[in-house]
This record gives sequence, structure tokens and C-alpha cells, in this order.
Amino acid sequence: MTVPVTIGEIGAALRAKKISVRELTEEALRRVAEANPRLNAFLTVTEAAARARAEALEDELARGIDRGPLHGIPIAHKDNICTRGVRTTSGSKIFADFVPEHDAAIVSHLNDAGAVMIGKTGMHEFAYGITSNNPHFGAIRNPWDLGRIPGGSSGGSAAAVATGLIPLATGSDTGGSIRIPASFCGVVGLKPTYERVSRKGVMPLGLTLDHAGLLAGSVRDTALGYNLIAKHSSGYLPPAHADLRGMRIGVPENFFVERIAPEVMLSFRAAVQTAAALGAHVTEIRLPDVEAVNVVGRVAQLSEVSALLAGYLDRRTEIGRDILVLVEQGRLIPAIDYLNAQRVRTVLARDFSKIWKNLDCLMTPATAITAPKIGEMTVAFGSISEDVRMAATRLARPFNVLGWPALALPCGFSSAGLPIGLQLVAPPQQEDTLLQAGAALEDAFGIAGRRPPLP
Amino acid sequence: MTDWKALAAAAEPPVPEDLLPDVIPALEKLEAAFRPLERALPPDTLLWTSCEDDA
Repeated sequence: MTVPVTIGEIGAALRAKKISVRELTEEALRRVAEANPRLNAFLTVTEAAARARAEALEDELARGIDRGPLHGIPIAHKDNICTRGVRTTSGSKIFADFVPEHDAAIVSHLNDAGAVMIGKTGMHEFAYGITSNNPHFGAIRNPWDLGRIPGGSSGGSAAAVATGLIPLATGSDTGGSIRIPASFCGVVGLKPTYERVSRKGVMPLGLTLDHAGLLAGSVRDTALGYNLIAKHSSGYLPPAHADLRGMRIGVPENFFVERIAPEVMLSFRAAVQTAAALGAHVTEIRLPDVEAVNVVGRVAQLSEVSALLAGYLDRRTEIGRDILVLVEQGRLIPAIDYLNAQRVRTVLARDFSKIWKNLDCLMTPATAITAPKIGEMTVAFGSISEDVRMAATRLARPFNVLGWPALALPCGFSSAGLPIGLQLVAPPQQEDTLLQAGAALEDAFGIAGRRPPLP
Repeated sequence: MTDWKALAAAAEPPVPEDLLPDVIPALEKLEAAFRPLERALPPDTLLWTSCEDDA
């Protein structure tokens, strides 16, 4: 069976009765069963519940009850997002048997909109890392090259969307955990403004850095989902022919263009030219001290995560070594340093907010690299060697610290056939700007919907 | 600068010896970057709570 790719196309096929919710659900379950043994994107497949839900939603449509664009659409939730009656492991052995009694707010919103949950997606342990190479549930694979990581921590969500198993999945982002896997897997990832989407029922990690968001196959699908989960949404959907006329886009001349893999930089420069060709006023801008933002973010994150996880150190044999190292680091940071990091954050946020006086949007590479191989610990930029985690997070983390909305979308492919990601960033609460710019660029790039073969 | 090794030994429970090579140098590097930012803090600076207060 050929199932349409985007939510809009699937919805049109459903309403034209070319496909039923039951068939759509069965096809998603069939594809998950076929791909997951090699991909490992799903930790739990909720087959029976999905079938029952599809049945009920099919009946609703037959009775003229239409919940809107997500009615009958198969989706999945990251496994640190609470789902009533369905285990929610956070990718950890510690929570391997945790079954929440309530749905997270983001889950409730998508349920109310008629989405069909197919299952829970795998992730980096505790959402505290970018490889999704999980010691308890196995490595999640990048569908473009099964020997590479999908990124993380929302690696399963990204891999599932990239493979076309589902068109939409939830994710969480504390230091890039939506945008990094979106970049490595060639899908769209939205980290909304801090607190714009409720974190209720999302297992906390970085208490002042966590964001709940989405991964999808296209910017327009992302917009459909975002409008349903945001606390305050204008309901904006990018038009069929979005453009960038008059949009003031800043391109950083520092930090975000340093230590970038050559092919990533080439694609990024081409994307900037595309934006200009679409009518944007592109200007180079020198940003304040971005490295300082990352330093403050790391002090805050280490402390906050350790406050949550140090209580489990009596079960350290059940926790991966990479997590233990970070928890031990955070445990040693004095409270005074943590509080002063949050004060420095205030100063930096005030400095950075000034850039919006003359700009609507920033454009940067989403990650400095394409997906590394599983087990690769360092990457080289010329003669400089850098830890993979640092190389993956340093362009994403600043916007968790500042709380600004950021969108990752594919802008090209490397010579090895790996996706390359672009990041768009807007002032607080200006997600509509991101969706407009993202849709215009996505149309121009012409690569949305390109999928790897089912593994 | 902080004696992270002493802190690690004094912590309850202490940081296991085998993790120290991955714990101490990382904290030393982070502290070296953080202290100058901390020293430059204006005395009237409050905690960051949300991006609504940035303007």
C-alpha cells in the first residue's frame, strides 16, 4: 500500500475515503514491525490500543465527527513523555517498569485532536546525551546509514519520522535534543519558546532548560502539530507559496560559522543565498559571547540534572557510564555557582535580546557535523579534535539557555548521503516567523519528503 | 580554583576513583570559563526565570 507522506496529504486521502483510519494504522504498524528490528526506533509498540483507537476514530468520521487535521494520523511519543497506562522509561533501566497514571499535557492535546499513538520511541538514557546509543535498550540507528547515530536524545522519534513510519512525533529538548536528531536524520524539529508548550508530564531533566516540542516530516506538518500543543497559538499555517519578502534575517559572522564541517558550511552558505533569492534582507551580524551562554548552560544543566538523578546513585550499576560521569560532575558544583550561573544567564539574555531590534530571524547551521558513526567519540575539524557531544550541542544549546524558539530543517545532503541541517531562530513567542521562513526555504530546497529505504 | 578532587573525595557517597579522570578535568575546564563571567556580574542581577524579562 502506498500511503501519502505528509499529514495534509494523508488527511485529504482519509476524507476522500481513499484510505481508512484502520488501514492507515495497520500500514504504520506493519512498517514499524518491518523496520524496527534494524532501526530500534520504537521501545514500545502499542498495537492493540492503536487498533482500538483507529476503530473509534473511523467510526467518528463515519458519523461526521471530524477532529481536524490530526484525526486518524499515526504518531509516537518520546519515551520520557508520560502516557497513561503505557510504560515510560526515559530510556533508563531505573524507570523500565514505570507506568504513568496520567498523560502528559502534550499527549492529551494530540489525543484530543484525534492522533493515533502507535508507540513510544527510544532515546538516549534519561534524555542526557546525543547519541541515543542506549546501554539498556540498544543503539538506535540512523536510517540513512545504520552504522551511524540518529542523534539524540530524541533519536527514536527522529529515526521513525525520517523513515516515514509516522509523520509526527513528540520530543524534548534540553540542550538540542530535538534539533540535533532532526539535523542528523533529515527531518524538521521544533523547539518552541521556553514554557510555550507545557512540560507537565514530561520527565524533567534540566529544570530551567527543558522544552517540549515536535519532530515532523515537513515544516507544514510541524505547524499543524504546534498549533495543537502551544499554550497560545495564532493558528498560523504557512501558505502554499510562502516567501521571505521583507524578512530581516541575520547570519552570524562569529561562533556559528567556526569549526563547521566543510560540507555543512557549503550547504549553509547555499541556504543563505536561497533566503536572499526568496526576498529576505540578509545581513551579517556579530553576536555577543555565545561561548559564555554555553558555559552558563552547562553549569546550570549539570546542577539541575544531578538534583534529579543523584538520588539514584545507589543503583549506579543500572546507569550508563556517560550518565554517571555527568551526574558526578553536577553533584560537585556548589549551589553558589549554580545560582550565579542563573544570574549570568540574566545578563547574557539581556545582551542577546538587543539583536532583535533589527532582525526577525537568525539563520545558522543546526549542527556543526553530519551524523557520526556509532561509537565515535571525537570529530576532527582540520587539526582540531572535538568531543562528539560538544560538536553536536554547541550550536543548539544557546537557544535552550536563552529560551528562544528554534527550528531545524534539512537543507542538503553530504557526499556520503547524510542529511545536513539548518537552524532558524526567532525572538520569544515568534514561532510563526520560524514556520513561515522554514516553509519558504523547505519549498526552495526541494528535499522535504526524501526518505531513506525502509531498513 | 576549586580543589575538585578533594570535593569528590568528601562527597557522600564519594565519587568513584574510576570516574575521576572524566569528572575532574571537565570541571576544571568549566570553572576556568565560568569564573570570569561570575566575577563580572553586576551586583543587582537577579536570577533568570524566563525569556520574557530579557528586554
